[in-house]
This record gives sequence, structure tokens and C-alpha cells, in this order.
Amino acid sequence: GTGSDSCHGARGGLAGGVVALVNSVGLGPGLRAWAGAGGARGESWRAWGGAGRGAGPRLPGLGHGAFLWAQVGYQDFHAFDLSEATRVLEWIGDKGVFVAGYESRKKNEILHLTLPFRLSVKENQGLFPERDFKVRHGGFSDRPVFDLKHVPDTRLLVTSGLPGCYLQVWQVAEDSDVIQAVSTIAVHEKEGHLWPRVAIFSSVAPGILHGVRLSSLKVVDLESQKTMYTSGVSDSDELSSLQVLDAHTFAFCCTSGRLGLVDTRQKWAPSENLSPCPGSGGGRWCAEVGGRGRGPGPHIASLGSDGHLCLLDCRDLSHPESSVQCAVSTPSPAPELLRVTWAPGLDNCLAISGFDGTVQVYDVMSWDGMGGQAEPLFTHRGHVFLDGNGIDTAPLVTTHTWHPQKPRTLLSAASDASLHVWDWVDLRASC
Amino acid sequence: MQGTAKALPGAAHGPKVRARRESGLSIPTLWVTAAWRPRKERGSQPGTPGSEGGSGALSGKSFNSSRKGVPGGTGLGSRTQGGWGPGPGRVLLQVQAPGRGRGPRAGPAWEPGLRPLHPPALGSHARPLGYAQAPPRQIRLRSVPPPPARVYLPCRRRRSRRCWTRRPAPSHRPAARDWLSAVQSEGPERGRAFPAGAPEAGAPGCACAVRAAGLVPAELRSWAVVGQAWSVGSGSAAATGWGAACRMPEIRVTPLGAGQDVGRSCILVSIGGKNVMLDCGMHMGFNDDRRFPDFSYITRNGRLTDFLDCVIISHFHLDHCGALPYFSEMVGYDGPIYMTHPTQAICPILLEDYRKIAVDKKGEANFFTSQMIKDCMKKVVAVHLHQTVQVDDELEIKAYYAGHVLGAAMFQIKVGSESVVYTGDYNMTPDRHLGAAWIDKCRPNLLITESTYATTIRDSKRCRERDFLKKVHETVERGGKVLIPVFALGRAQELCILLETFWERVNLKAPIYFSTGLTEKANHYYKLFITWTNQKIRKTFVQRNMFEFKHIKAFDRAFADNPGPMVVFATPGMLHAGQSLQIFRKWAGNEKNMVIMPGYCVQGTVGHKILSGQRKLEMEGRQVLEVKMQVEYMSFSAHADAKGIMQLVGQAEPESVLLVHGEAKKMEFLKQKIEQEFRVNCYMPANGETVTLPTSPSIPVGISLGLLKREMAQGLLPSAKKPRLLHGTLIMKDSSFQLVSSEQALKELGLAEHQLRFTCRVHLHDSRKEQETAARVYSHLKSVLKDHCVQHLPDGSVTVESILIQAAAHSEDPGTKVLLVSWTYQDEELGSYLTSLLKKGLPQAPS
Repeated sequence: GTGSDSCHGARGGLAGGVVALVNSVGLGPGLRAWAGAGGARGESWRAWGGAGRGAGPRLPGLGHGAFLWAQVGYQDFHAFDLSEATRVLEWIGDKGVFVAGYESRKKNEILHLTLPFRLSVKENQGLFPERDFKVRHGGFSDRPVFDLKHVPDTRLLVTSGLPGCYLQVWQVAEDSDVIQAVSTIAVHEKEGHLWPRVAIFSSVAPGILHGVRLSSLKVVDLESQKTMYTSGVSDSDELSSLQVLDAHTFAFCCTSGRLGLVDTRQKWAPSENLSPCPGSGGGRWCAEVGGRGRGPGPHIASLGSDGHLCLLDCRDLSHPESSVQCAVSTPSPAPELLRVTWAPGLDNCLAISGFDGTVQVYDVMSWDGMGGQAEPLFTHRGHVFLDGNGIDTAPLVTTHTWHPQKPRTLLSAASDASLHVWDWVDLRASC
Repeated sequence: MQGTAKALPGAAHGPKVRARRESGLSIPTLWVTAAWRPRKERGSQPGTPGSEGGSGALSGKSFNSSRKGVPGGTGLGSRTQGGWGPGPGRVLLQVQAPGRGRGPRAGPAWEPGLRPLHPPALGSHARPLGYAQAPPRQIRLRSVPPPPARVYLPCRRRRSRRCWTRRPAPSHRPAARDWLSAVQSEGPERGRAFPAGAPEAGAPGCACAVRAAGLVPAELRSWAVVGQAWSVGSGSAAATGWGAACRMPEIRVTPLGAGQDVGRSCILVSIGGKNVMLDCGMHMGFNDDRRFPDFSYITRNGRLTDFLDCVIISHFHLDHCGALPYFSEMVGYDGPIYMTHPTQAICPILLEDYRKIAVDKKGEANFFTSQMIKDCMKKVVAVHLHQTVQVDDELEIKAYYAGHVLGAAMFQIKVGSESVVYTGDYNMTPDRHLGAAWIDKCRPNLLITESTYATTIRDSKRCRERDFLKKVHETVERGGKVLIPVFALGRAQELCILLETFWERVNLKAPIYFSTGLTEKANHYYKLFITWTNQKIRKTFVQRNMFEFKHIKAFDRAFADNPGPMVVFATPGMLHAGQSLQIFRKWAGNEKNMVIMPGYCVQGTVGHKILSGQRKLEMEGRQVLEVKMQVEYMSFSAHADAKGIMQLVGQAEPESVLLVHGEAKKMEFLKQKIEQEFRVNCYMPANGETVTLPTSPSIPVGISLGLLKREMAQGLLPSAKKPRLLHGTLIMKDSSFQLVSSEQALKELGLAEHQLRFTCRVHLHDSRKEQETAARVYSHLKSVLKDHCVQHLPDGSVTVESILIQAAAHSEDPGTKVLLVSWTYQDEELGSYLTSLLKKGLPQAPS
């Protein structure tokens, strides 16, 4: 296909239809998935594919609907408009999710949304009427919310943001739909432009793990606000992500790419990897530990802002198992928004976002060793195509998360305040 | 030395005293919140229930002010329970010192309230100058002269003072004619307007100043005005005085249905003395009393027509118009019912449809008849979008586009400068055949908005459409038949456009049918109301009618038995009768087939049964129909979600917001959100609970050019930040309020100007002759008051400006001289200074 031409057609608002989409994605790494989509893939979609290869009749009044009509790679697709963009998608149970605004010059909303009922039912019941998010609770934050964590088994939330180096604790009201601020946790940090990362040790007495740098890492008891643990080191590496693995261990990742696992019962002696992956050009890094770090195989994925992805084995952090270049065209314009997440219900699948308006799903098993190029299994482009604007103002995906129960369902949010829920189809299975 | 002082009434015979005062004095501010009886009395002929007991009919007793059995509201803000309808006419006054802010309304209302404004309310500190025959009392010489009360009506928008100048003049000003006609219609109350012996026409009503508007050029609107109010002229109007010329300064809203609840929308609004009912819906979920709103709340025994000025229907959905025939024909209402043209055309069809279900299917007795629907529709007055309809002299309504369904409208209800906007159901995002709701920046006092989806973040329409198409496509692909029961107008057109476009794109061959007569009817309506559809359809309408479909053909009953896949749109929408039910019976047994219910189904219909999961249906003749076909539900209803509600509030910029159609518990957050973002109050009354909103009516007053020029010559022009005082006399003449110079007012009243002089005696020990004493006083004052013009007149008296000092011998004590010091009110300050100076005695004379 003549990719660029028809690509314009699709963006121009009138229906170049399926042809345009198939061709445009044909240019990129999503080739397999989308070519499959265009062809006679799913049985019931044959007719659409056929039309795609045909003349591509142009009808008035369809616009970007063309994208949706051709979303063949999706089992389910729902698009929502939030009142403000969110960097937070925090689960509460498997039916609720928190979102929060991050604009700096206004009050931001923290919302507790319940997932469309349709997504909660086990089997897909067709045209189930309830396909909307419901706002269960809401609150207002005076400052932008960069991160939000729900304290499991409580009605408490902890948020982090700027300005002011502190964590805010919130309570979700029981008898009304309001989220109220209850207390703050002071973080002693001089630098005004850094905000503390947060993770929660959930136990009978929940502890808040927070820190701006390695040196300021500590665990604070939520109730008494007593410090339970401090790193006690003088390393001033800036933190990018924190993750609690079990009652006593947590993982950290620094923006430099340094990452490690820490046992809070012992003195600071992490098993760690001091340098970023070989072959990468530096930049900022983030990481996530999959499968709770147990079992054999690579479980830590660390993603650099240039699109470099390393897999490490928890047992031996110093030697990366594989290191690949993801199919991203440019380095991330906002490294704070880099996300790499492991699929909880699928083996060896992870999703990355933060480079553009897409979310890419990869299967790590298909990677071979070091320095190769990785092709995504699936690319979600809804945020780009549903947006009515041209490519110049294409939104940036701010965050994404996997549904805890449904293996192939993801939620993704973008800077244009769109929130998508999508259930992708693994086209390899039907090959 | 002893000093006594006495207030001497000026030359004594008239009560009219001219007084002026320069600006810059700290004087208390009098907020006048003047209220007038809430409604013009209708049907005041003797014998009609409404006029029972003459003016007493106004006391709201027919409105059943102590309602029982209605869930009570918790005392939130200005909410009050029950008591809807006209209250007694009254004037409420509030006196406040500067800087105290607006407190709650002053306590005892004046009953019946048409007294002049002054004594009790003003207190000693703010005695109005113009008061006739001021009670004799001692005035201490150094006392600050009694200041005139500065009275003005607060600027209309409390939120921002800037509006004094920024706000454009309202397009419709309540003409003084309105006030006057209002006053004249006071009829029975007039006699009670004043207490016995109260001043009659021409009495100085009050010291009063009114926000300058009207004839004043815009940049001068920040003049505050100080002066006196007079009523000039003849007849009854003048006799009733000021208070009567003001309206009831509050808006009251009582939902009878839809308060914290969905279904049977019905909201009573009392604004500027007019009572309006917004929507007259029914609850589809009930078959008992709860089906219709409780109209007995409006009146137990009286005729509804006497209590309502008009009824407004927002759109044709039954939860907004379903109770209309019951209300107008069975309960009895003969006043006007307003709705848009499409609503007028479609509403009776829906009502008839529903009547058939209720009577024919469920066998309900005591239901409204077809004739009643027809009679009811005769009372309907159809309105165009953006057309201002004058319901009566004062009440006007205007419709705005609301999206939602064909003909849905939001209504602005306006009396004088007060207005309420009622949204009905609306949709802020355009769909395939309708546009998005729109309203201009009309800044109503209150916006009543639906909030059905206020706590919902809606899935995009495209995703819903996609699923719908996918379902239809899958069924057709496997050779099944798809039945879509629809109502002739509404979503059906949208779904047709959708399927037509999809068929075209994907090149499907399966036939789509639209049931007989439906296409023609729908086309007819849509051609008729093409202005109500969205821009795209309007634009392409000339070349290609979007409602003339290439793939969709008229259905013939024989087609239902044709083999192979097909899609059929058939009426009615709830599968309770007719073609859709026939087709359903034919197709229900085949699991390959599918029925998609695109909307709500009333209880008792087949549609409702299959949607609630019933798979074995008992049809007529004890025949049991097993439903094997797929049953799907698809909600395409178009309501505004939280984002849409916020958008609309932002568009209209109301002073307060009232939410109906939602659960209060779930909407606390939305309420907070609206209050924070727009800094307005937000209310959520339950059914039967009344929200009362005080309003601040502004009354335009013309200013004579002469007065304006004179005041402007005195100094700086006022600005938005620094208002200036303007002095004048307010007169009510020839149906208008005017602010004129005092001289002119006197002329118009035919009164002579009087002067008020104070005289004071000062005793001096001085055994010399009076002339010598006077000379000593002269030389003393001359030396002390260098800046003033001190003169020694040939008759021996001394003058300092307008102050006259004469020396006289004491009648008993030859060693004492009496100085008579006399000054005008205007020179009070100098006068009291002089007196105090003289009381200290004169410097020792050279012996």
C-alpha cells in the first residue's frame, strides 16, 4: 500500500477506512497485528477486511470512526473522556481504579471510579448495558498528583506531588462520595523540584516506603508516623521507582539505571546492578519486578528513555539476561512518564508506554539475547487515532496498567485526558 | 456657663424640609430588600376559590403551606420545607452599618408592609431627614447631624462588584410601568397599605437612593445615589408608596418529582411572583399513585389554573410529559402549556402509545382517554428556538437547543431582571443526527439542571456504535435475522444512519427494512424539523437527504418469512403490540436471530420481560412462546455527564445551580465541584422540599440631565473602583422612577422650600451694652476665624457665613448678655463649632 497517502486520508477525518489504517500501520512495527487485522482474520470480520482491500468507499460523516470500525485487534474497546489527564491508574480491588489530575495551576481531582460492570462480569455478555465508569468517590487536591497509592485493606490513600516535599494521606468516606485529606507525612528533602516516590508495605500496620534519593529512603508507619527503616547510606542517586515485593523486601530503580533489591530486616546491603544496560545511551530509567520476583527466569524489566529495555534475573542482577531496543522512533519526551509493566495474567508479557501516543505489548520470550530489535506483539494506537487532531498534537500516553484479573485487558490514559480500556487479541494464537 | 439647644422646626408650617448633604461622610448603608407580593392575583372575581377572603387569598393557604408526609429536608442553607405559592405581600428592610456585610434578612417582616421605610428600621442613628414633623427632641450642640440614609439596591450580581460597570444593561428592564401596573393591581390590599393616620400621597416616603441605571450612560453607572424618594402624581399608584413597587426578592423551587430521583420530572418554580411548572412527567416504574407527581401539593381544593401561570414541557419523553393529560384534563388545568414544535407533534403520539399499553394491555381503568390527550394538546402553545415568548406582561420564556432528542429544549424563564434556566434533559456532545446543547451567557439567577449521568463517565459513542455494529454484523454473517424495535422518532433515525453508513462501507448485501409507514412518518417529521438536526445533516440535506436511505427499504409483512439474514426496524419500541411484536413472535424461536432493544421498556411489556431475563412468555390465548433468540440491550440515550454539566454551567454562568434527577448521596462531590469551580451555591432538593433563593432585583431609575451635569461639575467622575455619591430626589412619576434635583422635585410637588435653622443661646458675663458685646464678639471671631467671612452688620448682628449671632440683654441679670446663635442645617458643623467657641467666653476686654 501507499502508506503515507492513505495515512493522511485517515487522519484527515474522512474515511480512507480500513485501507488507510492497515497501510499506515504497515509502515511500523505493528505490521503483523495490523496486517492480520486488515486481512481475513477473525471470521466475523471478513467482510470488513474485504472492504478494506477494495475501493474504500468514502462516505461523509464517519471521520475517525474509521479507526474503531477497523479495530480488529481488539476483543473489547472502550474510550472515555476524563475531566483532566491523569498520571495515576491505581487499582482498588479488581473493580475500582483511582485517577488523579496533575495540573499545576488548579485544583486537581482525585476520583475513585468503578469499572464498567460489563468488564467485571466473567464472560463477555455482548451488549451489556453498563459500559460506563461510575464516579464512586471524589476529592480535591491543591497540588498536582504525580503518584497515588492505595493502602490495601483500608480506605486510605497516599499521594505524592509537587510543590512541597510531603506525602498527603487521604481517606475515602464511607457514607458519602467524598475523599478527604486527613494528614501529611513530612519528607525531609531540600531540593524543591524532586518529588518523593512511594510504595506501601501492606500488613497489619501499613508502612509507607518513600524517598527522593537512595540516601533518604525510609519506611514510615502510617498510623504513628514513626520511622521504621532508613537506608542509612549517603548515595545521592535520584530514585525513579519503588516497588514493594513482600513484607520485608522492596526493589528500587534510580534514574541512572541503577537498581536493586533490599531486605529491610538487614542493614543496607542490596543485591544490585550499578550500571545501566550495556549498549544504551544513558537517559533516565524505570523498572518493574514481575511475578513478585520468584521463580526462575527474568523478572525485572528496566526501561530507558531511549527505548532500551533490559531484562534481569533477580538472582543475578549484575548480568542482564537480554537487552533489546524497543520499536520507538524517538526517545521519550517526558521520561517521568515512562512505564514498564508486567502482565499479571500472562507469562512473559510486558507493556511499555511514555514515548508517544501508543502502548506497546511485548512478549519477552521472543527476544534473543543482546542488542537486537524487538517487535511488539500489539500496539494500542487508540489515543492517537481517536484524537481529532493531526499528528502534531498527538497526545502522550501518561500511564497504563493491566487489569488484575482479565489477562489481556489494559487501561491506558493519555495527556488529552482520554482513558481507554482495551482487551487486545493475540493474533499469534490464530495464526 | 450653660448652653441649651433646641431644634427649631423651620418656618413651621410644612413638613417638607429640604436637606442636602455632601458626600464623603460616613453614613450607614441601608440595604433595601423590598418585596412585593408574589403574584398577581388571578381569578379575583368573587366566588372563585382563588379570591376567597379578598386579599387573604394571598396568604398562601391554598398552597398548603404546611405540607405533611413529604420527606423533610435537613436545614441546609436557605432551604425551607413546604409552603409553596404566594405569601403575604411584604416589604423587608435591612439596615446595616457599612462593612457589616449582608446578614440574614432582617427579622420581623413588616405586615402588610407598605409603610414608609423609616423609623423602626433606621433607628436613631439613621433618621431620615425628610421625615415629617420630627419628634421634638433635644439635640446636643456637638452632636453629629443626623445623616441621611443612603439607600441603594445592591448590585445584581453579588459575586462581583465590578459588574456595576462591566455588565451590559439588561436587554429588558422592568419598566416602571410594570411596577405601577403591579401596584395598581394591588386592589384589595391598598387599604391596608398604611396604618391609620399614615401619610398619604406625596408624603416623603423615605430617604432612598437607587442604583443609577436607565437613562444614565454606561460609564456613569457607578454613581451611587443619595436622595429622597417621593411619589409624585396621582391616583392609587402613589398611595401605595415605594414598597409596593418592588417584587418579591426570591426564587423558590420545589421538585414534585425528579428531586434526587429519576422519572416523573415535575418542578415548581416561583419567580418574581409568577408560578411556573416545569415538565409534567410520569414514573414508568410504578402503576400506583407514585406514577404521577403529587399535584395536590400545588392546591388541595383550588383550581390549578389559578395557581400556575404556565406549564413548560422540555421534550417528548414520557418521564417529562407523561402526566400532562392527567394533569390538564383530570386534575384540571386550563392555562397555557408551552413546548417546542417537534415536541408538540410527537408528544401526543407517545402519549397515545402509552395509553394503549396502560389501558389495552394492562386493563387499567381511570386512565386518561384519547380524547383527553387531544383536549390537552389544544392547550399547547408551540414555541420556536430562541424566540422570546411573552406569557403575560411580565413573564417571558425562551427556548434553547438541548440536543438529547428531536425537539428537546432548555427554557429560560424570566420575570423582570430575574431568571431561571431549566435544562430538561440535554446532551453536550453532538450525535449522528442531533447537535449539542447550547445556551448563551444568559447569567440566570438559577440554573436547574438534570444530573442523570452526573456520576458517570460515559463510554464514547463510537465504542457503543462499534459494538452495536459488530453484534448486528455477526448475526447477519451467520445468517440470522435482527429485529430492532424502535419508536418512530428518536434513536431510530440515528441507528438507521449508522447502519446505512456501515452497510455502504463494508458492502453488505443483507437487506435492511424499516416497518411500514415509519419511514414516511419519520421523514415527514425530520423534513419538518430539519432545523433541529445537527449541522452536518442540515448541510447535506439539500443534495442528499440523510433520512432517505439507499440500503433501507420499506418492510412488508411477508418479508418476515423470507429466508436468509435481514435487519428490521419495527414499531413499537417496547414490543407491546403491532408489527414489532408480530415479527418477534415469528423469530423468537431461532437462536441464530437477535433482538436489540435500543431503549427503556415499560413494565408489563414483552420488551421489559425479555430484558429482565424471562425466556418463556405467555402470549394471548395461553400460548407460550419460548425465546431462543439472543436478546440485547443497547443504551443510546444522550444525557450530559459530569463534564457536560460543568460545560453548561460554564456557558450559562448562573448565580446558583440546582440539581435534579440524581441521588443526593452520590452527588456531594459534584456539588462541591460546581461550588468550587464556579463559586456558586449548589442545591439538591428532595421531592417536596423547597429551595429558596434570595435575589436582588435592580430597579432602573432615570436621572435628569441637569442633575447629572451639576454633579459631574463637582468633581471626579466615578469609576468602577470608586463609586461616587449622587444627590437627588427620587420621584415616581408617569410610570417611571426619576432622580431629579431637589429644586425640581419641589417644583413638581408644588411645594415651597423651607429652611431648617437651629438657634442656640449662649450666656456671657458682660455688663456692657449689647452693641459693645456684639462688637467684642465680632473682633474675637474675626481674629479666630481668619478663613471665614465674618461681618458686622449695621443692625448690630454678627454673621459668620450663614450663621447669625445677635446679642441681647438678659431679662433678669443685667450683668449677663445672651447671645443668640442661629445656623442653617447645612452649616451645622460651623454652627456647633462657633457655639462651643463662644461658650468659652470672650478674651478679656481692655478695661
